[in-house]
Order: sequence, then structure tokens, then C-alpha cells
Amino acid sequence: MTDLDIGKGTVGGAIGIPAGRAVPRPPRMGRMRALIANAWYELRKSKTALAGLVMLALLFGACIATPVIATHDPIKQSYRERLAPPSEKHYLGTDRLGRDIYSRLLWGGRRLVTIAVLAVTFGLAIGIPYGVLSGYFGGKTDAVAMRFVDGLLAFPGLLLYLLVVTLAREWKLEGIYNDLILIFALGFAFMPEVARLARGSVLAEKQKEYVEASRAIGDGHFSIALKQILPNIVSPLIVNATVRLGYVILIIAALSFLGLGTPPPTPDWGSDLSAARDFMETAPLIAVFPGLAICYTVLAFNLFGDGLRDILDPRIAER
Amino acid sequence: MSDHAGDNGRRLTRREILAASTALAVSGAVGIPSSAGAAKRHPKRGGTLRFGTRDDSVGLDTHRNFIYFVSHPLAGMTGGLLDFDGEMEPVPAVASEWDASQDMKTWTFKLRKGLEFHNGETIDAAAVKWNYERILDPKIGHSFTRSALSDVERITVDDKHTVRIHLKSPSAAFDTNVVYYPVNLLAPGAVDKVDTHPMGCGPFKFKSWKRNDTTELVRFENFWGTDAEGNSLPYLDALIGKPRKEDRVRLTALRTGEVDLIDNIAYADVDNFIKENGANYNTWEVPQVGTAFVAFNLKNGPFSHKDNKDAHMLRTAAAHAIDHEGIHQAVFHGQGQIAKGFYSKSSPWHGESIKSWPQYDPDKARSMLKKANGGDAKLLIIANDSFPYMQQTGELVHAMLQEAGFNVVFEIHPTPVIQDKYNKGAFDIDSSANSYRIDPDGWYGRSILSTAPETKRRHGYVNEKVDQLILAAKVERDKKKRRQMYADVDSLVNHDLPLIYTHFVPLRQAGTKKVHGYHPAFTGPFQYAGGGLRTAWMEG
Amino acid sequence: MLAYIIRRIAHLVPVLFVLTVSVFVFVEMLPGNIVDTLIGTEGNDDPEIRKALEQEYGLDQPVHIRYAKWLGRVVQGDFGISLVTRRPVTLELMTGIPATVYLAAVGIGVSMLIAVPLGTIAAVRRNTPVDYTAQVTSLAGISIPEFWFAILCVLLFSLYLGWLPSSGYVSPFVDLKASLTYLILPAVAIGFRQAAFTTRLTRSSMLDEMNKEYVDTARSLGFRERKVIFKYTLRNAMIPTLTISGLQLANLLGGTVVLETIFAWPGIGRAIYEAILQRDYPLVQAGVLVLGVIVVVTNLLVDLAYRLLNPRVALA
Repeated sequence: MTDLDIGKGTVGGAIGIPAGRAVPRPPRMGRMRALIANAWYELRKSKTALAGLVMLALLFGACIATPVIATHDPIKQSYRERLAPPSEKHYLGTDRLGRDIYSRLLWGGRRLVTIAVLAVTFGLAIGIPYGVLSGYFGGKTDAVAMRFVDGLLAFPGLLLYLLVVTLAREWKLEGIYNDLILIFALGFAFMPEVARLARGSVLAEKQKEYVEASRAIGDGHFSIALKQILPNIVSPLIVNATVRLGYVILIIAALSFLGLGTPPPTPDWGSDLSAARDFMETAPLIAVFPGLAICYTVLAFNLFGDGLRDILDPRIAER
Repeated sequence: MSDHAGDNGRRLTRREILAASTALAVSGAVGIPSSAGAAKRHPKRGGTLRFGTRDDSVGLDTHRNFIYFVSHPLAGMTGGLLDFDGEMEPVPAVASEWDASQDMKTWTFKLRKGLEFHNGETIDAAAVKWNYERILDPKIGHSFTRSALSDVERITVDDKHTVRIHLKSPSAAFDTNVVYYPVNLLAPGAVDKVDTHPMGCGPFKFKSWKRNDTTELVRFENFWGTDAEGNSLPYLDALIGKPRKEDRVRLTALRTGEVDLIDNIAYADVDNFIKENGANYNTWEVPQVGTAFVAFNLKNGPFSHKDNKDAHMLRTAAAHAIDHEGIHQAVFHGQGQIAKGFYSKSSPWHGESIKSWPQYDPDKARSMLKKANGGDAKLLIIANDSFPYMQQTGELVHAMLQEAGFNVVFEIHPTPVIQDKYNKGAFDIDSSANSYRIDPDGWYGRSILSTAPETKRRHGYVNEKVDQLILAAKVERDKKKRRQMYADVDSLVNHDLPLIYTHFVPLRQAGTKKVHGYHPAFTGPFQYAGGGLRTAWMEG
Repeated sequence: MLAYIIRRIAHLVPVLFVLTVSVFVFVEMLPGNIVDTLIGTEGNDDPEIRKALEQEYGLDQPVHIRYAKWLGRVVQGDFGISLVTRRPVTLELMTGIPATVYLAAVGIGVSMLIAVPLGTIAAVRRNTPVDYTAQVTSLAGISIPEFWFAILCVLLFSLYLGWLPSSGYVSPFVDLKASLTYLILPAVAIGFRQAAFTTRLTRSSMLDEMNKEYVDTARSLGFRERKVIFKYTLRNAMIPTLTISGLQLANLLGGTVVLETIFAWPGIGRAIYEAILQRDYPLVQAGVLVLGVIVVVTNLLVDLAYRLLNPRVALA
């Protein structure tokens, strides 16, 4: 196999993992349940993963409980109470338009995490079948399919996002559409990386006996590709997707800075942080809260993803 | 602030002169304003001023590209037939005298003799004609620049130093259109290099431009302007433009000594900066950059008489719901003033007796809204994404209307999408602003007059009485009468409410104590007879 | 090996084809074009003028013809002129790309200065508090929104401490010392961010190496631990770290737009972003193409270097 391109997996984002590291696990047919039990056991050994998991549990808990624990309407302005310091009424103070920062953080986080999860899911949903089928069929199909992916991967850095989001935004920007646009753009930009990763794993798996065996007993292509191979390549994808969740949140923040973020008054950490730049010298707390919220969330996803990598990568796990 | 050029005594004199005569031959007046500063501290020739600006030019051809005179250092290179003085009255520049025919359809400009472009080419009547025709070429002239000359029918050369401009319809305001910022003169002989090395006739010569990095201008030794003592202007050896987009970085660059002057401080920082750094830095308030307003869509929808018999009541309810003081505080952080008409007190066109828009009274708004037909309609507020104050005003108006019980949504869009919404009438309320309307006809004749394309395209306001006033004012030579006519228009506007003026757009500049002799004009630091960067020098 | 290189180079052609076609399609789908901007809004919307302008800017033809014409010129090395500045696109690229490459290269250098010691110590002290601290520190860099971090750096190092200029760019060929003082803040902002990934990689490569037999052999021969780590293990572990840094560098070329805006760095990222907003098609297309070429060529070189340095992969 010659296509063990290291780094191909990293091109779409600086924090992807190289495909070269994603050596697939031996097949564990019918042992998914054991795998999960095993994962929990391993998880407890990795302090970073555990820390990430606890942080994520708190985050998701807050997201779910938002309607209960938020104290104010996040978009309700009271411009006569602007820039108020933290108090009993406003736990984290108020922003430039007198909105409750605490409630905005909660609602914004709920929305942001949802967008990130859906975007990554969307990227996986189109990238995995693309990569798996491309790798499984091989030959010309594979060559053509992969050149397309390479072309998208050659878009340097943020430019693919900039183009997709500008395009989508200028078409339609009303309410929920904006969120869908972000989900689509971020997911689409994640797709090439997923496809590469999935294909690389499939190429490795394809050679193995269990695939030969399935073929011998007459299973169809799709059945083999999806039922037999897919479960065995999930580990690297899960790791990659977890880390990606954090990356997606940072991209949304960067887009907000460039004026391509969520339009007001929707609570959004990136836009709120971006708008708080005006007050970084006069009322710095306004920037600190959304800034820390982003840091916390990205760090949680990264810690958990890193920990998962240690657990799921057999070369490290065995040590 | 000791260098402030204007004082009221002189202002009255100037107004009297303007009211009394139509032909202005006040070439001697140039340079007077700087004498006030000069008396206190003698100007020192030389020095390089580093100017930190929010924006940078997009291209070097000053006819093809819009030059933003507040923020584009390249503007220092430009010059035109006339200048403004500190009171926004037109004064001689390249032209020393000018006059309108009796029917106000022909304007004659007499050029100073012996003036040169930066490449040494003579500025003569033929060059002016060439320039105006180039601006009028729709394939070249920027639409904004071109609109200043939209009345022009043709240009003729009487003799080497006399150029005659024939208008399609009479206008008492054409002379201010000529100063109308971007109508600047470029050397015809250097036009083939206009995109790489433009040659204008302003106080500074172009040296180099690196996009989003540096603009280098040097003193034009043969500039026509002089100070009161006859010393040639400008004093500065060089002007270096340093674009710094991020507000915080620009303000930091000033405080660390990386730049000497910045074109604006974010509104949120002004008070704090003056309090903490006022002793070490000068700040200047630019009189009026523009006027912000919220406009209603009278073409269709619940605010339109065509679709709703209670449209005016609904607009009045909205006006009662809008708290101007809230906008003043939350958007402008207490800077500048609330607007009741288009012109602020710093403009010679400020109307004294304008009847105000309906006062803030949320209870009244609520009760009117309940009574009015269409009070429950879903309304769309839009704002352009390029100016934060438009967005923030939109955000506030959204909240204020919501509080009064309106069913409103708010959206921010880039310019192309906003234009599309205007064309289709796909909005109800628009948070917007207008600037650079030095002569009132530029605003009322374009955006209030019912037959103007821009009026029709945007809010679609129609009031015959308003139209009559605007058309009559356009040909009224007596400035006092003219001013009153426009004040009457604003009173009617404030009653009819096609739009609600909200706030004058303020701008606060800051510089180190090394910068002397500087005071910004109405619209910024350039193109200002006897002031601005022309009379600035570095010392200390 | 040679056959492999030739095959890889042949692959670049379809990749660049996909890249340029996608840019054309994206740009084509953006609402409005340069003519809308030029015509403006002041009631000048005369269809004749629009037609004349579209002709002048070559926008009256269908997109596939424009693509073919553009490709034809590009093959001859002509990128056309910028619709906005009306200067040759090549000139705009020649000012923007070196500035961005300079920033990105030094930024990656800074990231290695942070990451290699951090990753090494994390591996050597594996599963101790030192390891966890190193990992969390490196991850912190990637968790902070870049624009916030950059502005905080400006406030701290320029305004409060007065150590460094807040923003601006000086070419290293004009004044190297001044150039570096302007470079430090943006380069650190990049380096801190990129270090997260490099640290992780250094750590796991170190762990891989430390598990190998030669390390035990060396130890048993009585080499001192420090010498084993620095002389042998680290040197081998650096191979993947260096190659990944090459890829990061290529990827950064379009990813510095936020920092370029804040630090007033006249780079290509911001130029392309502004060109997208202004509908300056030739600049967007040429910019993405040239950066794309740099990305794919770097990927190729990194891949080859990795194979040369690491014979096991080449055998696979």
C-alpha cells in the first residue's frame, strides 16, 4: 500500500491527526459491547480524557438545563442598565445593551454546541460514505473521487470557510437559515478530511481475511463496506470528530471577528466576544466571560479527544 | 484645542459676505484661519506626520475609486476648483473667482494663473474640462463622484483660465458640488500611470502606496496655498498613512508613539481616553461626519398608505417608542448630539426652528399601536453591516419597538443585499445614515424630494408641499431664506415621518502633543482651506 | 521512488483543476459583481452603462468561457489585472505572499521552540503531573480565540509593558532588526496556537522512540539517560514533528487573515478576503491558485522527505 500519506489528514485543519497514525485495530466482530466496557475502563486510566469528560459533562449539563437555570431573556435589552458589574440580579453583569451576560452565555452555548455537533455530524455523514465507498471500490472511481477531495484540501486555511460562508450568507440570512448555513459550511469543509481518513482505513481493512470471508459467502458490496468495514474504522474518526468539535467553535469565533458571524440579537459567544472588543479597556469583564467560555469548551473537547486517542490507538494503549 | 481656526465674529462676516454677493472674490481670505494658531505658536516647517487610519484606499485612481476623506491618507494628494473653510463655506482653491449666470444654469470659474499639477503640468481650463469629462464617463467615474456632477450638461473652455459649466437645470448649489469631496483634479498627462503613480494638485505629492500597509506622501513644493505671512503650505515634509483597522490597536499605536495622529477613537473609549490621557494627547471632535436616521418603507406594507389607512398612526406610534437618549448613550456613548434635522449646529445649514419628531412616550406608543390598523403586523428592521453604529441603532430600535408591543425582527446585511431589499421594498424599517451632503440639496433633493430616484427607490415619501419647498430652495440665492425653507422641510418630515432623524454621527480624533496647527474640518482632515493637515507641523 | 514522484506530480494537475474550478464556481455564485459596485446606488442604473462595463471587465461572457480564457492566460503566466486596484494581480501577490510566508514560517519556528521542549518533557515524565501540565498548557494555546489572544498580547506587551510595537510591517530586507520587532507579536500568536498539535506529536513520537530496543541497548551500555534522550531519541522523534510543521506552514498561508487584520500585516490572506467582498475575481482566483500550488507542492515535498527519512514507510 503506497497511499499511507502522512499528514493528508492534517491539511484540512491544523489539529487533525495524521492518517499515518490511524493504524486500524484488528477486527473485533461482535464485541462492540465489550469495546464500550473496555473503553470506560481505559478512560479512567487516562487523566486527560477523564478531565475532558467531566468538563464536557458539565457543559452538556448546562446546555440541557439552560431553560431552567438561565435567569433572564438573553435578548432582552435594558439599555439603562448597560455595562453593569456582576451582581445578585445579573450574576455576570450586563453587556453593552444591558443584556444579562450569564443568560446569554447559557443560551449561546446551547446553540453553539448544537451547531458544532450538527456540523461535525454532517461532515461525517457525507465524508464517511464518500471515503468508504471510494476506498472499497478502488481503481478509477477512487482516483477520481480522491482528486476532488485533494482539490478541496488544497484550499489553504480559512479560505474555504470564507468562500462558503460568504456565499451562503449573501444568499439568505434569515433566522434559522444562518445556523443551517454555518452547519453546512463547517460540515462541508470537514468532509475531505473525513473522507481521506475513512478511505485510508478501508484500504487497510479491505485486505483482511474477514472481508474476504464475507465476500466468499456472497455479501453485497454495500453490505460489506458499511456493515463489516465501517465498525472497524470508527476509532480514528471518533477521535478526529471530537477534536474537530473544538476547532469548529474556534472557526465560528474567527468568522464572527471577520463580520461573518451570527447576526444580533441571537446570543453567540463569538459575536459577543467580538463586540466586547470595544470595552476591553473600560469594562474588560464583558470580553472575559465569552472568551473563557470558548476556551473552556474547546479545551474540554481537545482534552477528551486527546485522551480518546491514547485509549483507542493500540500502539499507545498497549504500553 | 488652542489652534481652533474659527471664531464667531469671523463667521458672521463671512455669512454676510455670502448673503450680499453672489460673485465671490475672496482669494485673500485663504490662510486667515491659520493665523489664529500662528499667533500663539509660530509654525515650524518640516517634520513627518504618521497618520493612523481605520481604512485604506482601495485603489489610486481618485476618479475611479471613492476617496473617504476622513480615513484615506491618499486624500492628501487631491485638490479641486474650490475648498471649504472651517465653516463649510466654499472658498477659492484652484479657481480664484466664480459666478453663476442669472438663470443659475451656467457657472463660470476663473482659474488662478501659474498653478501646476504634481508633474509640473499647467492647470488650465482644458485640464479642468478633461477631468470633469473623465469623472462623468460612467465607465470611469465612481458613482458617488459622478453624482456630484449629475446636473452637468457640458463643459466649455472660454480661455486658458476660464472654464464654463452648463447645467441641465438651475442650481444654486453647484459650487459646493465642485468641492464636493471627490471631484478632484488629476494631471491629464500622467493618466496612463494613474493606477500606480497618480499626479494630483493637492498639498501633498504621491510617493508610494503599499495596500493595507503604508501610504507615503511628500510636500508638494508648488502648492498654491500660503499662510497669513505668505509662507507656502503645507508645513509638513511628509505624511505617512498607516492603516490600523482594529480600534484597540490604533489607539495603542498612538499611545506607544507608533503614530502621531489617529482618525478616530471608538465611541466607547472616548471618555476614558480623555480622562486618562487628556494631559498627554490632544483630541478633536470632527464637527459632523454624517446623520443617522431610521427610515420607514412607505412604498408597501403596514407603514404605507397604499396598504394601510392607519400607516401614519403606526409610524407615529413607532416614533413615540424610540428613545433618542437611549441611542445617544448606548450607541454613541454620549458623544455627539441627537438629531432633529439633517444638519447639526456645526453646519451653516443648521435649522433653528425645526418642529421635533414625536417625543419618547412608550405608553402612548402602546395605546396608539393597539388602536392602529395593522398594529400586529410582523415588521422587518434592516441595517447595513459596514457601519457598527447603524447595526447598533437597529439593535436598539428593535428592542424599543418590541417593548412597545411591535412585532419586529432585525437583520443585518451586506450592501448588495440591502440594495436588493430597497429595490424590492422588502423591509419595513431601515437603520441608515447619510454623509457628505455639504449643500442641503445633496440631501433633500436626493433623498426627500418625491421625484428623486433615490427617494423612490428607498422609502417612497411623497408630500407636494415638501417638493415645492425643495425645488424652490434649489434656486434660492438668499442663504438665510434657503436655510429656513429646509428647516420647514424637516418640520414636515418630522410630522409625516417617512424617517426619524436619530443622531449626528460624531468622530473624535486624537494626536500627540507634537502635532501642532492641526484642526479637522467638517468632514475630516483634508481639503480644508487654512486648516487640517495643510497647516499641521511637528514640534517637540 | 522516481516513478512515485512522477505519479504524484501527475496527480497535481487534476487537483489544481478541481481547485480552480471550485473557486470559479464559488465566485460565480456570489450575488452581485464588480459592476454593481461601480454603478453604485445613486440612481445611475442605466442598462447601457452596465453593458459597457460588463464588456470592459469581460463579465458579459458565460462562466465556462471566462474560465477557459483565464486558464489560457494563466498558463502563459498572466494573471490579469485586479479589478479594484487595476494593478497587475502578480504585483498584488508579490507583495502579499512573501509577507504571509515570512509570518507563517517564523510562527511555525516559534511553535517548535515551544512544542519540542514541552513534548519531550511530557514524554520523559509520562503520566506525571509534569506531563499533564505540559499537555494542558499546549492545549490552552489552541483553545483561545485567536483574535482575543492577539489583542490581549497587544495590550500587554505594547501598551502596558511597552516592549514591542503594537502593529505594522517592515520588510526584513529593509531593516532586519526592526522587522523582527514587528514580527514577534503576530509570530508568537501563531506559534502558541500551532504548538498544541506539535507538542502532542512530539510527545507521542518520543514515546514511540523510547520504547524501541536501541534505547534499552544504549542504556544497558551505560550511556547516561540525558544523552540517550537528546542524542538518539529526540533526533529520531523530530522527523515526524518536522514534517508536520511543513504541512502546518502550508496550511497557515490562508489562515492568517485574522492576525493580518489585527496586526496590520499586509499579507495575502487579508488581500484575498477583501477581494472576495469586493468581487475582485482575478485576485481571488489567482490568490487561491498560487496558495493552492504552494500547499500541494509542500505536501508533496513533506511526503517525500518523510519517505527518505523514514525508510520503513517507503518500503510499505
